[in-house]
Amino acid sequence: MKLKSVSKILLAVLLLLVPLLFRNFNYGILICGFIGIYIIAISGLDLVFGYCGQISMGHAAFFAIGAYGSALLHKYLHLPILLTMVIAAVIATLIGALLAYPASKLVFHFLSLATVAFGEIVYQLVAQSPGGITGNFTGFYTDSINLLGFKISTNTRFYYFALVCVCGFLLMKHRLVKSKEGRAFLAIRENSHAADGMGIDVKRYKIIAFATSAFYTAFAGSMYAHYVRFISPETFSNRQSVMFLTMLLFGGTASLSGPIMGAAAVLLLNEGLRFAERYQMLIYGFMLLVVILLMPGGIYGIIKKRIDKRRVVS
Amino acid sequence: MLTVKDVTLRFGGLTAVNNVSLTIKQGTINGLIGPNGAGKTTFFNLISGVYTPNEGEIVFDGVKLNGKKCFEINHIGMSRTYQVINLFRKMTVVENVMVGLHPKMKSGYFSAILGTKGQREEEKEVLEKALDWLDFVGLRGNAYEMSGSLSYGKQRLLEIVRALASNPKLLLLDEPAAGMNSKEKEELFDILRKIQNLGVTILMIEHDMKLMMGITDYIFVLNYGKKLAEGTPVQIQNNPEVIAAYLGED
Ligand SMILES: Nc1ncnc2c1ncn2[C@@H]1O[C@H](COP(=O)(O)OP(=O)(O)OP(=O)(O)O)[C@@H](O)[C@H]1O
Ligand SMILES: [Mg+2]
Repeated sequence: MKLKSVSKILLAVLLLLVPLLFRNFNYGILICGFIGIYIIAISGLDLVFGYCGQISMGHAAFFAIGAYGSALLHKYLHLPILLTMVIAAVIATLIGALLAYPASKLVFHFLSLATVAFGEIVYQLVAQSPGGITGNFTGFYTDSINLLGFKISTNTRFYYFALVCVCGFLLMKHRLVKSKEGRAFLAIRENSHAADGMGIDVKRYKIIAFATSAFYTAFAGSMYAHYVRFISPETFSNRQSVMFLTMLLFGGTASLSGPIMGAAAVLLLNEGLRFAERYQMLIYGFMLLVVILLMPGGIYGIIKKRIDKRRVVS
Repeated sequence: MLTVKDVTLRFGGLTAVNNVSLTIKQGTINGLIGPNGAGKTTFFNLISGVYTPNEGEIVFDGVKLNGKKCFEINHIGMSRTYQVINLFRKMTVVENVMVGLHPKMKSGYFSAILGTKGQREEEKEVLEKALDWLDFVGLRGNAYEMSGSLSYGKQRLLEIVRALASNPKLLLLDEPAAGMNSKEKEELFDILRKIQNLGVTILMIEHDMKLMMGITDYIFVLNYGKKLAEGTPVQIQNNPEVIAAYLGED
């Protein structure tokens, strides 16, 4: 117990010191900011996929709704950026719920097809928008986050902003999965007939899981937009959805730390393999295969097995 | 408390439940027997809301159940176990029971996210209650194991207690003794009595005649989807039609 809290404090100090450690390595801080964004995005995906057992192959759509929603609201309605981020995420939540309503009846493989179609529709809307309001393939420029006059315009500032967001979203996730809602998600994943028989409104909880997940991923999308300050359709293609799933499966589903490790591992690998960018999809495909065939619990699963084993021995 | 009137269910050309009527009295232990494929499980699925009858009416506690969904019927006060074990395998034993307590919980989504005091207190209460239920069937020592790793007999007990956790008025048990050894069957016998003493009415399917004859107050017999007979265990044992149906099977 004591060791645990000491290591927690050490971890917190380390995370706070990252920008200092990377003082002369701005690129490192930049990547850490992206890791934060992806942790939030796939933590959301984990709620619906890892906990509730519902596949989504179109989560890039929510990433897009968050990013474009916030950027467009800022440009056309001149709302302050943090507010636009929240509004965009709420819109994505509603769209997620609307999509989940009919989709909650679908079995796994039809659901996956429906989410692929949804991802494609949003991609097309962004790439060939009505009146060209998204800038289509030219892309769309937007501003940094403005916290009551304090601009999150440097990598270091964004790092701290992302750190706060990640902590907030992970805390929310932790509470949710440890509550009656979280147990309902797991029960649906494990055996939806029995969940129904135990008095759980399966449809309702599937919608809740999907909508919450949309909120997470959309908020991450809006963070992305105001971090990079430029968005274009290619970031939101089905490649991104595949990357989300790769990160989640690689890190390990149905856990808090799985998405953290998955986001970090895949992003770092991505950067390391920058020179092989055109083989990106090939690499994701390969990683997915390796995970599914050789390490079904992801990194988290491997670590957990080790710890459990040690516990049994001692 | 449960009245089933002229209920029929067809699967395409097969009439799995054929014009069955029966009444179950409050506080009793009732048996539902019949040869394999007689339609017993299908009958359970009908009254618990998995299927809606093609004809007839099901009234439970003054409420018409036709067309109601499983989870709604659970909320009205009927809970069940399954012939094929349907536990949440990758959840712990105590979590399985906590899911059973789900319909009793009041706090909602936002209080969970905010971690309000009321929500945390309810969680604590529900955990305590779930552990008490595990005591009821002697599974407290297994509380934090994965339910899928329990022995077969213990899994059956866990299914029963998960169903009991929502405080049902009527409990449906589909072959609770299947796969149990004789010692476990004796324990089950005692647990069934304890459940009856809680005021819960029981309707159970079971092939173990010794157990059935020993514990039930009343028995219904199904054969080829039709009700063949009903009566006290002694009446059923001496009913020539019932004997013929079972002999015909073997
Ligand atoms: N979903 C279904 N679709 C089509 N036929 C079904 C379905 N469910 C059950 N049946 C058929 O209905 C009949 C009754 O099956 P049921 O499972 O109710 O029997 P049972 O009395 O519970 O038998 P057992 O003692 O073997 O459990 C069987 O002929 C079975 O094949
Ligand atoms: Mg059966």
